[in-house]
Amino acid sequence: MAASIAAPKRPFLTLPFLLPSWTDSLSLGAKRHQSSYRRTKQRLRVKPDASFGPSQQGRDQIIYNPPSSAPSVYHTPSKFLPINDVRRAMRADTPSGPNVNELPSVHKTEAERKYHLTPADIEEIRKLRLNDPMTWSRHKLAKRFECSPIFIAMVCEASPEKKQIQKQVLEAVQSRWGPKRRMAREDRKLRREAWGRDE
Amino acid sequence: MKRLQLQRWSSSVLSPRARAGSRLHQQLYSTGLRLQSTASPLQSETSIPDDVEHVDIGDPGMMRHVRRVHKRKTQLQYPSPPVDAAIKSPKLAALHARLYLPSRLPVQTLARTLVDASADRNADFNNEALATLGHDLLTHYTSEHLLCNYPRLPLSVIFAAMYAYVGPKTLAAMTKEWGVDWATVPGGEVDPGLLQFKRIDPGTKVDEVSQLQSPRPYAAQKGWRMTVSSKIFYDDEFGDAIKGSAASNEGVTTEMASATFVRAVMGAIYLHAGRPAAKRFFEQHILSRHLNISELFNFSQPARDLARLCARENFEPPVAKIVSETGRKSRHPVFVVGVFSGQDKLGEGAGASLAEARERAALAALKGWYLYSPLNPRVPSSMEEEGAAPWKPAHVDVGEVIV
Repeated sequence: MAASIAAPKRPFLTLPFLLPSWTDSLSLGAKRHQSSYRRTKQRLRVKPDASFGPSQQGRDQIIYNPPSSAPSVYHTPSKFLPINDVRRAMRADTPSGPNVNELPSVHKTEAERKYHLTPADIEEIRKLRLNDPMTWSRHKLAKRFECSPIFIAMVCEASPEKKQIQKQVLEAVQSRWGPKRRMAREDRKLRREAWGRDE
Repeated sequence: MKRLQLQRWSSSVLSPRARAGSRLHQQLYSTGLRLQSTASPLQSETSIPDDVEHVDIGDPGMMRHVRRVHKRKTQLQYPSPPVDAAIKSPKLAALHARLYLPSRLPVQTLARTLVDASADRNADFNNEALATLGHDLLTHYTSEHLLCNYPRLPLSVIFAAMYAYVGPKTLAAMTKEWGVDWATVPGGEVDPGLLQFKRIDPGTKVDEVSQLQSPRPYAAQKGWRMTVSSKIFYDDEFGDAIKGSAASNEGVTTEMASATFVRAVMGAIYLHAGRPAAKRFFEQHILSRHLNISELFNFSQPARDLARLCARENFEPPVAKIVSETGRKSRHPVFVVGVFSGQDKLGEGAGASLAEARERAALAALKGWYLYSPLNPRVPSSMEEEGAAPWKPAHVDVGEVIV
């Protein structure tokens, strides 16, 4: 209570919201005239932050201005420019980035490509998978022939019966999922689709 | 809402009759002033000329009412406003001025562009011919702009971009932005500044494609695959199936009528003011609309597509490398992955997991390839200008990556 009775520290006219509405036109600063334009403009003229300056370049810092952003997709990489494009020659002497061989790879171990399977091996893979699909799954075949499961999928296809059995197994597993797990799986799928749209 | 109260000191700017204050609208009624599109109940007419009878417009009740109350019965014998009404319409003059149309384009033609074929079936008075010309011009200018500016765009993206620039939805939005209103029911007595068309009956399936009209062989086979390149031959400019012409007494949707109107305006400008004016109109109203083409892409497996692209163009196979990362063991890590071919960086992407960052980097590289734009591209129609520089062949690409 005491606070509300105490006299305001600032002069009354500088607090226009305290005045009744009919005094709007009278209060100072409510309208911009030619004479007050410069003062208003001066107040808006703020010095840029120190982080924008060139002095920050060499030092250790955590503030980067302007902040880093993804490169524009409209900027065609030099390798993708046609041979007769002028920009190819203009960019020729720009310093290249870090050495690619020194950068860490995304994968922990680079899969070595052997190219060791012969057509006879592939025939055998197909025969095994067709005759005994329960024993010879993709992963077991991959292990035996020392190739990737994707390669097995490329050279042969499972029989329709095996597909049907696998579908039932999957349904049985999914029927035990609760709503949380189901929603999490669906969300993951949606997120993955959003990557392709670059969202 | 409060009624406008005229102040005492405003008497000097008002005529003595209008100064009646709250009885302002009574004044308007007593002078008999009425708009063409409204029907005042104060007027009573006794005789109906016989030639009105054969006019058939949708709602019979509405038509009877209009016939009974209308002053200018001679206009009712036409399905669309007569030509001499165009000069008297303030709406038309305002639209002409607002669009900054060339003065060589008369308001009578502008009035004709507002009459849809569903309102007036006579080809001499509706906008069908103008719209056909305008549609060809719009799609021609848009497609050459896209092909010359982005010569490597995949076909599906070109279709989407064409639809975004000159598709019916965009043209309908333009009609709204131009401030063109539409008449509830078309007829000879309505203001010629209103868009006139017969509305389609509610509940009609608009998107249904009649298979008999489609030039595509085996169009009735539902499950058959439709390749993107077959759409060039059999489908329209937007890659959609060509719809058969509507039955004669069927109406059109507001969207279709608005799109036809914008196309007709383009055709009318071309006919009356010539090619440069039409080109200027196209640039000011169509090309000025912002379209971010990079958002039209949707890849399912960008890494695989990029590998195929590099193999096709004899580049080294793309390799994903971590450029920078932060918070690998935290809940929100950020990885920045670059895709390199040899020592050259093709693209860069950031993501919350290594797989996501890699995928996004491959996507950025693919977009970098597809969104290549030559320096100072010229379109073939620029050669039609006076004193154009000799033509240099535009960049033609081998085509998109096929996996």
